[in-house]
Amino acid sequence: MSGAAGTSPPAAGRPRLIGAWRGLLDVYVENARLALNEQFQYRVANYFYMIGMIAEPVIYLVVWTTIAEQQGGSVGGISSAQFAAYYIVWTLVRSMNIVFTPYGWEWRIREGELSAALLRPIFPIVSDLGFFIGWKVVVIVLWLPLAALLALLFRPELSPTLLEICVFAVAIWGAYLIRSLNQSSIGMVTFWTTRVGPFFELYMTVELLLSGRLVPMSLMPDWVQTIAGLLPFYWTFGFPIEALVADLPADRLLGGLAMQLFWIIVGAIVLRLVWRVAIRRYSAVGG
Amino acid sequence: MNELQYRANFFVQLFQSLIALATGLAVIALVFGHTEQLNGWNHAELLAVMGVHIAMGGLIGTLIQPNMMRLAQEVRDGKLDFALTKPADAQLLASLREVRIWRLVDVAIGGVVLAAALGQLGVAPSLGGGLAFAATIVLGGLMIYCFWLILTTFAFWIVRIDEIAELFDGIYQSGRWPVGVYPGWLRISLTFLVPIAFAVTVPAEALTGRLTIETFLLAAGFAVLLFAFTRWWWRFGLRRYSGASA
Amino acid sequence: MQSAQPAVHVSDLRKTFEVPVREGGLRAAVASLVRREHRQVHAVDGISFDIAPGEVVGFLGPNGAGKTTTLKMLAGLLYPTSGELSVVGHLPSRRESEFLRRITMVMGNRNQLQWDLPALDSFELMRAIYRLHPDDFRRARDEYIELLELGGLVNKPVRNLSLGERMKVEICAALLHQPDVLFLDEPTLGLDVTMQKRIRSFIAEYNRRHGATVLLTSHYMADVQALCKRAIVIHHGRILYDGELARLGAQFNATKTIEVTLRDGAADLTPYGEVLSAEDGVVQLRVNRFDAPSVTARLLRDQPVEDLTVVDPPIEDVIDSVFAEARDLRQSEAP
Repeated sequence: MSGAAGTSPPAAGRPRLIGAWRGLLDVYVENARLALNEQFQYRVANYFYMIGMIAEPVIYLVVWTTIAEQQGGSVGGISSAQFAAYYIVWTLVRSMNIVFTPYGWEWRIREGELSAALLRPIFPIVSDLGFFIGWKVVVIVLWLPLAALLALLFRPELSPTLLEICVFAVAIWGAYLIRSLNQSSIGMVTFWTTRVGPFFELYMTVELLLSGRLVPMSLMPDWVQTIAGLLPFYWTFGFPIEALVADLPADRLLGGLAMQLFWIIVGAIVLRLVWRVAIRRYSAVGG
Repeated sequence: MNELQYRANFFVQLFQSLIALATGLAVIALVFGHTEQLNGWNHAELLAVMGVHIAMGGLIGTLIQPNMMRLAQEVRDGKLDFALTKPADAQLLASLREVRIWRLVDVAIGGVVLAAALGQLGVAPSLGGGLAFAATIVLGGLMIYCFWLILTTFAFWIVRIDEIAELFDGIYQSGRWPVGVYPGWLRISLTFLVPIAFAVTVPAEALTGRLTIETFLLAAGFAVLLFAFTRWWWRFGLRRYSGASA
Repeated sequence: MQSAQPAVHVSDLRKTFEVPVREGGLRAAVASLVRREHRQVHAVDGISFDIAPGEVVGFLGPNGAGKTTTLKMLAGLLYPTSGELSVVGHLPSRRESEFLRRITMVMGNRNQLQWDLPALDSFELMRAIYRLHPDDFRRARDEYIELLELGGLVNKPVRNLSLGERMKVEICAALLHQPDVLFLDEPTLGLDVTMQKRIRSFIAEYNRRHGATVLLTSHYMADVQALCKRAIVIHHGRILYDGELARLGAQFNATKTIEVTLRDGAADLTPYGEVLSAEDGVVQLRVNRFDAPSVTARLLRDQPVEDLTVVDPPIEDVIDSVFAEARDLRQSEAP
């Protein structure tokens, strides 16, 4: 049997495998590494995007600060400086919870990338999660100078305790996971329709109002807060921000992390079920 | 684009615009749950601002943005042939070719909100007010057009226009509120850098009887200046472009 | 070592698609009372074959014949409408991890690697995905890099590679986990001749070393001739021919088409061959392959020829003739 000079043919039979859990970890690590390398090349584009993203919280901040000043310094117990802190931390939480959208799934199906992903012995969602984790690391690094600038302009009031910082550091990743899982589930709708836009916009609007993205939830009427308490949105936005900014007592902080864990589990179960149905549909109709 | 797609686009646009409207109303309701007035504007007046904002957004989406995006694409692909023959007409042609009719839904919705706002105010605008409104809308629209065209001519040199469109949409959201709420430096930027104030706040002022002569003259003057500059900048870019690819 | 079981077993496989008819009715995204009409497309209409481990089989047929659909069903990407199907003892649509590890599919023009990064980085991801032991992975990778003569290409971002180089790198990535079954869908599409040869020889070498089963679709006859002993011709979702390539080769290219442009318009060229069409002074003649040179010579000598080209007939015509031949063959072999 001929072989290229210097190399011997690999052993006959299948290649050896490493353990399943170790392998799974490797997949996350390698995806994250890819994302890190790639997104760092794209840092200008990333910055551009982040600057555009800032318009939203600045507008909210300005409006509420105006109201606060008119009412003698605070609205609903929140001062202008505290609003500034809320919305500046908002920008980091927002950067962290940007995830693979249903539009991404639409594109993926159209470009045929989904078929390629289905040939591999892991779920595409696992790759997505790993990839975005690497991306987030880049995002956090890029965010720091932006935050400094915003702090200079809007003078927030912020003095977090060590516990609050620790809970915040965990909560932003929890927020990322919950939103990833939920939006992936919604993304499966693209297997049935080519226009996921309207469904998704509706979902985003509900999230806007019930998550703390628009305003601190304490400013919302009581009935809205009750509804928000039953849904996962608050735990992807308002809770991480408030963990750092709002001086919550320890039991609320830790209870919040527990709630995040709850919604992560729910999200994972839902995604698993939806995925199974979606794949059946995809394989019946053709990629 | 065939008729089926037009109809689909209309329905999708209607759906999305209604959601946006509901959100806007919810936000205003929330704000006024905590205060009686915002920077001197009451609930009805703020509704008027929102109406103008939506309607103007519709105009931008129908006429201005599609043309600019197409222009940028053609510059990127090197397909700007017609411009090389008649530079004088090129600007007009490039600005009016594309029309996304379904975006007019927003103009309609904005109009309805405006009417509701005026009803709530209980005042019918005077003839002068109505004329001033029309004039300021035209001026404001013109200024937004100029802003977009200047931005797009950068496509002659660098930048990706899709990201700029997203950036603009984000900044345009600031027009939801009267420009007076923004702190000094921001207010100036939103007036002269990105002419949102002239596009939204000023026409709303005209309709609610707050418009002063000074502001009107400022709007008119700035519009003329901006238009002249835009025209010059366009021809400059065009010359550079044709020089480059000749 | 190799089991006696076929690597691929297909029995009466069918795939029918429901294609919406886009006449009339609103296609609004928001759910509305829309009655969509459908018509049925029988992409795969009852095919059966067995492929032994280590065989290299070529699927031939024009676009839309059902080749890609069949391959997708074998890879588990599509559920069959009916029929039996098994690949290395697994039911593909179950998409079991063990099954996915043993197969690979390469689709021409589909990008599976990270665009902005060197291919080497994407290879590491493959290693993780397939849980390969680092030593085995490295050995396979280095072997392929040498065989494909990739050299420094794996260090350049994939976007900087030419189409051919990209294809080589994609194939390398697809084989890192040393699959037993290769589904290659138009792997040389759009490549220049040297690149096509390089890739063909690599596939042949892989098959020799690993005993892998290879299913190859192409509408380039050259691909199949270089690699496959056995050819399966598919047309309209049915198998027209399944057997030795050598026999098919004799039937292929049985005729040639001569396109003649005459200086003074129409002329009757029926003495030279079968006239397919004669319009505006351009005549298309079908002649037997072996007669083509002599017919050409006579035309040039006797007729006022302005322009003349000799082309192979399009594959549809060839398939049609194969269909006719196969039908005759079956009839002649019937007891």
